[in-house]
Amino acid sequence: MADPMHQFQIQTVVPGPTVDVLGVPVNLSITNSTLATMIAAVLVLGVFGAASMRAKVVPGRLQVVGEGLFGLIDNLAESIIGHDGRKYFPFVFSLFLLILGMNMVGMFLGFTATSQLAVTGTLGLLTILVVIGVGFARNGLGFFKLFVPSGVPIAMLPLIVPIEFLSFLIRPVTLALRLFGNMLGGHVVLKIFAGFIISLGAFGLVGWAGAALALSSVVALTALEFMVAFLQAFVFAVLACVYLNDVVNLHSH
Amino acid sequence: MATAPEALAPEAAQDVHETVGHAEAEGHGGGGLPQLQFEHWAGQIVWLLLIFAIVYFALAKLFVPKMRGAIDARGSKIAEDLANARALRDEAEAQAKAAAAEMAEARGRAQRTAADAKARAAAESAKRQAAEEAVLNERLEQAETRIRAARDKAMKNVRTIAGDTAAAITEKLTGEAPTREDVDAALGQAAA
Repeated sequence: MADPMHQFQIQTVVPGPTVDVLGVPVNLSITNSTLATMIAAVLVLGVFGAASMRAKVVPGRLQVVGEGLFGLIDNLAESIIGHDGRKYFPFVFSLFLLILGMNMVGMFLGFTATSQLAVTGTLGLLTILVVIGVGFARNGLGFFKLFVPSGVPIAMLPLIVPIEFLSFLIRPVTLALRLFGNMLGGHVVLKIFAGFIISLGAFGLVGWAGAALALSSVVALTALEFMVAFLQAFVFAVLACVYLNDVVNLHSH
Repeated sequence: MATAPEALAPEAAQDVHETVGHAEAEGHGGGGLPQLQFEHWAGQIVWLLLIFAIVYFALAKLFVPKMRGAIDARGSKIAEDLANARALRDEAEAQAKAAAAEMAEARGRAQRTAADAKARAAAESAKRQAAEEAVLNERLEQAETRIRAARDKAMKNVRTIAGDTAAAITEKLTGEAPTREDVDAALGQAAA
């Protein structure tokens, strides 16, 4: 059977130089992961650019799609963060579109950038850094009130504050691992079931029945994966909004 | 599937050597996940940040304001059209009301005209009837007068005859003709 993990192997497509960034050697070769990310970005910008730059009062098909996604995340940001949601909407929307693009490229082109821990980790860390930056920019040192829930008895604080702090620290990790795990698991399972079709097909008539079963599983799983691809991008956007809301509306926390 | 990780390691390592050109084989952690080959992380992270920055700025500076503008323009256009439609409807309703009032007024005027005409016709016919009646009454009166005259004349004749008769009878009885005055006085007594 084909190795189900081989699809995640990083391979260089266009070799590039290795430069030192803050003492860390960075190989700027364009790998299959980078390429998939680029394709996703180009698709996202192409579709959304075409939808928005020729925006009309009576929308065309592409504009309806673009406005659908726009409205989805816009309403999300508005309902979770409130009126200030508009200010942070472009960031959340960029996250959503890029993740959605990478997930969808993975469904069609065979390499899923979001199944790379380096990618999801970067996105998770970026999100939480933006949250921290916004928190300090809006509240100054009041940002630390995030870890002191209001209405908790003083006696409980020594217990609550470390828990709140830890739960905050774990946020980028869960953001990264949730997306990574979903994409990794989905694509591994697809590969394994696809492999079953070949292996079982070699066992004669009974094997054929098994292969047919595996094939229908692959079809069903593919549909499921499309849903997961959308859902995980959406979940990432929702959580980014929730975390932003924590620091934007700190006083009502 | 349990054998997959063991089978993977050498193959994955080979790929890395071929494609990236590293000489050392550390950093694979002996595990199966190609994602944990940390020598590929830095490049991916830098590229991803770069791409994300491009996407973010294109969206934030260009596409999002453009699309929000289009959506807002549509919203205001719809609101404006709705307001226009509402104004037109109100105007139409006002006109319909005015037309109905005019209609009612016209109907009232027509009814009044009809009533007037009827009254005038009734008055005229009453007048004509009265005139006719007057003519008839006059003729009736003339007839009665004529009848009365005829009767008086007849009664006078009767009186003359009765006088003559009484004179003749008296002459026959007494042999002497009474005077006209005596006869008249006797007739007057008899009539009374």
